[in-house]
Amino acid sequence: MQFAFEAVSLSKIFRTWWSRREVHALQQVDLAVAPGTVFGLLGPNGAGKTTLIKIALTVARADGGEVRLLGESIRNRSILRRVGYLPENPRFPMHLNAIQVLRLYGSLSGGDPNRIRENAEQWLERLELARWRDTRVSKFSKGMNERLAFAQALVHDPDLIFLDEPTDGLDPLGRKEVRTICRELADAGKTVFVNSHILAEIELICDRIAVMKSGEIIEQGTVADITSSRGGYELVVPGSEGLSQWLREKTLTFAAVNGHFRIQLPDRASANGLIDALRERNVEIESLMLKKKSLESVFMERIAAP
Amino acid sequence: MRPGIFVDTFQESFRNKMFLFFFIVATLIIGSIGLTLNMDIVNGVLRGVTFLGNEVRVPAFTVQQWVQNLQSGLAMVIGTFGLFLALMATSTLFPTMLQKGSIELLLCRPIPRWRIITARFLGGASIMAFNAAYLFLGVWAVLGWKADVWNNAFPLSTILVIFAFIVLFSVVMIVSVITESAPAGLLVAFTMLIFSPVLAAHEQITPAFSSELYRQIFRSLYWLVPKSAETISAMRRLIQNRPLDINWVLGTSAVFALTCYVGALIYFTRKDY
Repeated sequence: MQFAFEAVSLSKIFRTWWSRREVHALQQVDLAVAPGTVFGLLGPNGAGKTTLIKIALTVARADGGEVRLLGESIRNRSILRRVGYLPENPRFPMHLNAIQVLRLYGSLSGGDPNRIRENAEQWLERLELARWRDTRVSKFSKGMNERLAFAQALVHDPDLIFLDEPTDGLDPLGRKEVRTICRELADAGKTVFVNSHILAEIELICDRIAVMKSGEIIEQGTVADITSSRGGYELVVPGSEGLSQWLREKTLTFAAVNGHFRIQLPDRASANGLIDALRERNVEIESLMLKKKSLESVFMERIAAP
Repeated sequence: MRPGIFVDTFQESFRNKMFLFFFIVATLIIGSIGLTLNMDIVNGVLRGVTFLGNEVRVPAFTVQQWVQNLQSGLAMVIGTFGLFLALMATSTLFPTMLQKGSIELLLCRPIPRWRIITARFLGGASIMAFNAAYLFLGVWAVLGWKADVWNNAFPLSTILVIFAFIVLFSVVMIVSVITESAPAGLLVAFTMLIFSPVLAAHEQITPAFSSELYRQIFRSLYWLVPKSAETISAMRRLIQNRPLDINWVLGTSAVFALTCYVGALIYFTRKDY
C-alpha cells in the first residue's frame, strides 16, 4: 500500500553550538498515514509534532530516517507541488491583498495560473472572504487571516494537506466549516494531516490519530479504538441486600441507583468472570455497557503516565 | 506576470512606498536641475550660472568642465548619502522574509532554498539599480539638453554605484540571514562604508603604527573588506575622464560580495526554521 505520509525511523536532535545540551525532538518515529483519510497528531507542547511536520515539508532537516510523501522521498522537492501547508500563526506579506496572497503562494507551489485564479475565487467565496478579496491582509483580523491561510493551503489542489492548529482563532462557525472541508477533502481522496491541541476537534474530524510524547509515538489507532478500550465495563443488576454484601467482599466498585447496582469493571475478562459468578447466584443481568472514555481523558492518562 | 519572490519584492517596495520615495527624490533632483538651472554660455565658456534663482559663482570654466564637475559632485553625494538611504530602505527585506509564520510558507514550496534567497537579493538590488539608472540617465539627459554636453561617462558611472550597493547589500544579506535582524545587517554595512575611506588611506596610516603586527592587520583588513570609498571615488575619475586603475578594488570587493552571498546561501540552505 502506498501511504500518503510515511515517516521511517525519523530522528531529530536540536543542539546549541555554544553548549553540549541536546534536545531529542524526534526519536526513531515510525508513522504512516493512509490516503483519503483525516489523520490527527496529538501531543503536549514540545512533543515534536510541529518538528515532524516541518521535516516533512523540508522546513527543517532530519538527523536520521526518512520521510516519504505520496510515495516519493522528500529529497525530490517536486513532490511538494502536491502538498499544502497551513502553518501555526501564518504571516503573509502585509503589502498583498487576499487574492494576491492566494495567487502568489499558488504560483510558488507550481500550480497552473488559470486554475489557481479559479480556485482562489472559489475558496475565498467558500471561506466567506470574497468581499475582502481586494483588502490588504494587514487589515485582516486573526480569524480572517486563519481562513486565508487555510485557502492558501488548498489553492493549488494538493493531494496531501498539513494543517497545524487549523482552528486556532476561528469562531465556532469557522471551526465547523473547517471540519466540513476536511471531511470533503478526505471523501475526495485527499489526505488531511491535522496537528492540534484541541482534542474535541480531533475527535470530531479524524479517522485515525496518533499521540506523541517526548518525540515518540506512544499511541495510534482510530478514535473509536483508542477511546473504547480504555473505559472498562459497567454491569447493571437488580439491587439486593445480600448482593451488596457479596460485592463488598469481592472489593468491587459499585453504586446503587434507582434500585439497581451499577458495577464498574476494568476489562472484558473481569466482566465475563463476574457475569458467570452472578448467574451462578441466579442474579439477573440487566445490562452490560462498554464504557467509552473521552479522547481528552485518554490523552491525559497517556501523557501523565511516566 | 506570474507572481514569484522576485516580483513580490518589487511589489513590496511599491506598496511600502520605498520605491516611490527613491523615485520621487530622483525626479526632484532631475526636475530641479532641468527647471531651475540656468547657464550663461558665451563662446563655449561659462560666464554665469543660476540655480534655484540664486547666482552661483563659477571660475571661467569651459561648459564641459563645469558639467563634469557638477556630475562628479552629484555622483559623490549619491555614492555616499544615497548609498546610506538605499541600504536603510532594503535592510528589512531579509528579516521580513525570515519571520516565523512567513518563512515556513516559502520553504514548503517545490523551490530550492538558494532560489528563494537569490530572488530576494536580486529583487532588492534591482529596485535600487532601477532608481540609480533613472537618476543618472535623467540628470545626464537634462544637462545634455541644457548645456549640449553629452558626457557618456556619467551614465556609465551608474554601474559603479550599483556595484558599491550590491557589495554592501550582500553584507546586509549575510548578517540579516544569520541574525534575522535588520539593524544588525545595517550596522555592519554602515561600519564598512564609514571605515572604508580610513582603510583606503592605509599607506599613509600604517607607518604611524608602533608594531608590525598592527600594520599587517590593518593592511589585511584593507584587502579583505569591500573598498566602497575607492569605488565611489572612481566614479569621479571616470566622469572627469581621468585614468582608472580599479581592477584590484573591484576584484577584491567582488570576491568579498561573492563570499558573503555564498556564505548566506550555505547558512540559509542548512538552517532549520
